[in-house]
Amino acid sequence: MKIEAFTKTYGDRRVLDFPGMELERGKIYGIIGANGSGKSTFARVLAGVLPADRPGRKLEPGLTVGYMPQKNYAFRMRVRSNILLGGHDTARAEKLMETMQIAHLAGKRADRLSGGETARMALARLMMGRFDLVLLDEPTAAMDMETSALAEGLIMDYCRETGCALVLVTHSLQQARRVADEALFFHAGLLLEQGAKEKLLYVPERAETRRFLEFYT
Amino acid sequence: MKKTLAFLLALAMVLGLCTCGASGAPAATQAPAAAEAPAPVETETPAEESAAVDTKILYEADDSMLNTYTLIAVNPEAPFTDADGKAVADVAVNTAGADALIHWMLSQTALDMAANFGMEDYGEHLFYVKDGAPVYEGEIAAATEETKTIRLSTTTSVKDSGLLDYLLPAFQSEYGYVVEVQSAGTGKAIAAAQYGNADLILVHSKSQEVSFVEAGFARVVEGFETERVSFIYNYFVLCGPSADPAGAAACASVKDAFAAIAGGKFVFVSRGDGSGTHTKELSLWPEDLGITAEAESFAAYTDWYTSANAGMGACLVMAEQMGGYILTDKATFLTFAANNGQIA
Amino acid sequence: MHSAVEKAIQLILSADAELCDILSVTARMSLASSLIALLIGVPLGIWLGSCRFRGRGLLLVLNRTLMGLPPVVCGLLFYMLFSGVGPFRQYKLLFTVKIMVLAQVVLITPIVIGNMESYVSGLAPAVRETAKGLGLGHFRTLLLLTNECVYQIFSAYLLAFARSIAEVGAVSMVGGAIAWKTNVMTTAIMQYTNRGNFSLGIALGLILLAVSLLVNGVISLLQRRLSR
Repeated sequence: MKIEAFTKTYGDRRVLDFPGMELERGKIYGIIGANGSGKSTFARVLAGVLPADRPGRKLEPGLTVGYMPQKNYAFRMRVRSNILLGGHDTARAEKLMETMQIAHLAGKRADRLSGGETARMALARLMMGRFDLVLLDEPTAAMDMETSALAEGLIMDYCRETGCALVLVTHSLQQARRVADEALFFHAGLLLEQGAKEKLLYVPERAETRRFLEFYT
Repeated sequence: MKKTLAFLLALAMVLGLCTCGASGAPAATQAPAAAEAPAPVETETPAEESAAVDTKILYEADDSMLNTYTLIAVNPEAPFTDADGKAVADVAVNTAGADALIHWMLSQTALDMAANFGMEDYGEHLFYVKDGAPVYEGEIAAATEETKTIRLSTTTSVKDSGLLDYLLPAFQSEYGYVVEVQSAGTGKAIAAAQYGNADLILVHSKSQEVSFVEAGFARVVEGFETERVSFIYNYFVLCGPSADPAGAAACASVKDAFAAIAGGKFVFVSRGDGSGTHTKELSLWPEDLGITAEAESFAAYTDWYTSANAGMGACLVMAEQMGGYILTDKATFLTFAANNGQIA
Repeated sequence: MHSAVEKAIQLILSADAELCDILSVTARMSLASSLIALLIGVPLGIWLGSCRFRGRGLLLVLNRTLMGLPPVVCGLLFYMLFSGVGPFRQYKLLFTVKIMVLAQVVLITPIVIGNMESYVSGLAPAVRETAKGLGLGHFRTLLLLTNECVYQIFSAYLLAFARSIAEVGAVSMVGGAIAWKTNVMTTAIMQYTNRGNFSLGIALGLILLAVSLLVNGVISLLQRRLSR
């Protein structure tokens, strides 16, 4: 599927200048970059919650988009009800709750959960649906190591099963290395480099990318 | 949590049982006021056992203090105008109801009742029947579905005297009408009729009544000769502190008493609201003082002339507090004194 | 003050018929006007708080201005419209409880709208993003948003009720404070005060506060119940 080029400007500050690209189904695209590099803006414009400078869909019409915002919102109802907002399949809901280890919280009021529990619930909630394109904005930011691992497994299984194109914005290079098939590096609002994981995440071409990776080694 | 719930339920039950278990005594709130403990006021006792107010009647029954009450039926063909001044036609006025009420008020029964009003509670007449009041002896129409509701606009003094609460229930139960009484200051009471919101008025300010008639808002009720039907009267009384520093009680006429008060600059509480009482008071001051309803006219006298712009009862309370003089109608004063400085 | 409390208790215990009528009229009027204001104001407030559209800012300014409408001015307007010479005189609504409710609805609804709007505008972006991300439609999102506001809706109701039961400027003008018909607690208090019977006025005021306390208590309990 094709993503059109777009830009996003606030006042006289251009925060994102995206040149457009093609996504393949069944592939996980990892987006890395420093804070303020425009990764979240990219996800939000694609998700349709933030209008680009020239408003309008950036995707082909008829494609469904799933999106998990960076700040997870728990609706004022039980955890199970929250998850069922994403889809009606109760069996699937139970399974997802188990996978994310929140089954014991199913009857609890969702607005009383901790940050990590909310994040797990939000991911499970999104995974209830089927979409052509799924955008996850730092889904494991609030999770601990163990839960992050579970989440990553879930995400990879989901992408394989549903055959969607999955865009994962992450601030963890390790996570990108574990999960992504292809990677995109954003720097100061520009898509500086993109390519297969083996290349970009280990032996990048651009100097800026190399400098970014250095923080992790 | 449970405790608050229980407390609130108990409170609800208590209030619910008490307020809605109305064992319908149709007495107005005269009952609780009479049952109260006497308020601590200066004890200058006229002739009663309990502690009373200091203010007493110093001058009464002077012909220039006559206060005549008049009924006027509203004319449906009057030149009503709306807020912009444009003429308005087909204004709804319940002429049949107004007629019935006026007929009844001028019947011997009602006139006798009015004359008796106050005897039981105070041993005094609060109202007198006017000599030559046209007594009505004809038929009084019973209420129909359309004419049932009668809108009577009157002054606060009349309402507060309790006369209507005393008279109207008899009329309503016998003829099936419901009388809705609106009370306001004289000016507003008359204005209500001019806005088409009343079927008849009961006021006591001759000059304003005459203007009302001359403007075409009144009509002659069948069985009477004029639009203005004056039927009862009473007196204003000049009240003041029992010590009476101005010597008002000893004056030859009430106008002399007013002159004495002005001369000595003794505190005087004025209604200041364009009511009948206020109008009468203005007419009693010496002319060279130039006191009128306009605020500038008494700006020079504010050290003693207190323009309260309040109801009769509130003004009496003020006069009591300040030890001042005040012109009031006798009915309100008696109620005030009997209730130790408060109006029931 | 002491005598006022005694008076208040005496009044209640004596089950004075006129007091019962006044309480009944007050209850009918304030419950009706606060509920209607709620029914109109909550959806409008939620809509105004969540949907971005041209002219939203203008509507907000308008609503805030209406929030500051003096009750006596509102009463005067209705009086002139429904007066015997007014353009709506054929409805014969002057001096009825219905018009008192109407005038109060005009006064209270903007307050409810403002209250809900400010709450929802803080909440709406997160809710909309999440709902959109899950692929939920516009209508479903609004329902979800309303569910998020349930607690606040109760608070808005308590605000509406408090305003309606304490209001005197409009109801005295359009209702006329007619005994046994349109006399409510506040107008009765005004009448007694004008007559100089201050302690009876305070006694009635205490009863008014007690009723208010009761209603607040019950609604707050409900609020907590339903937010569990």
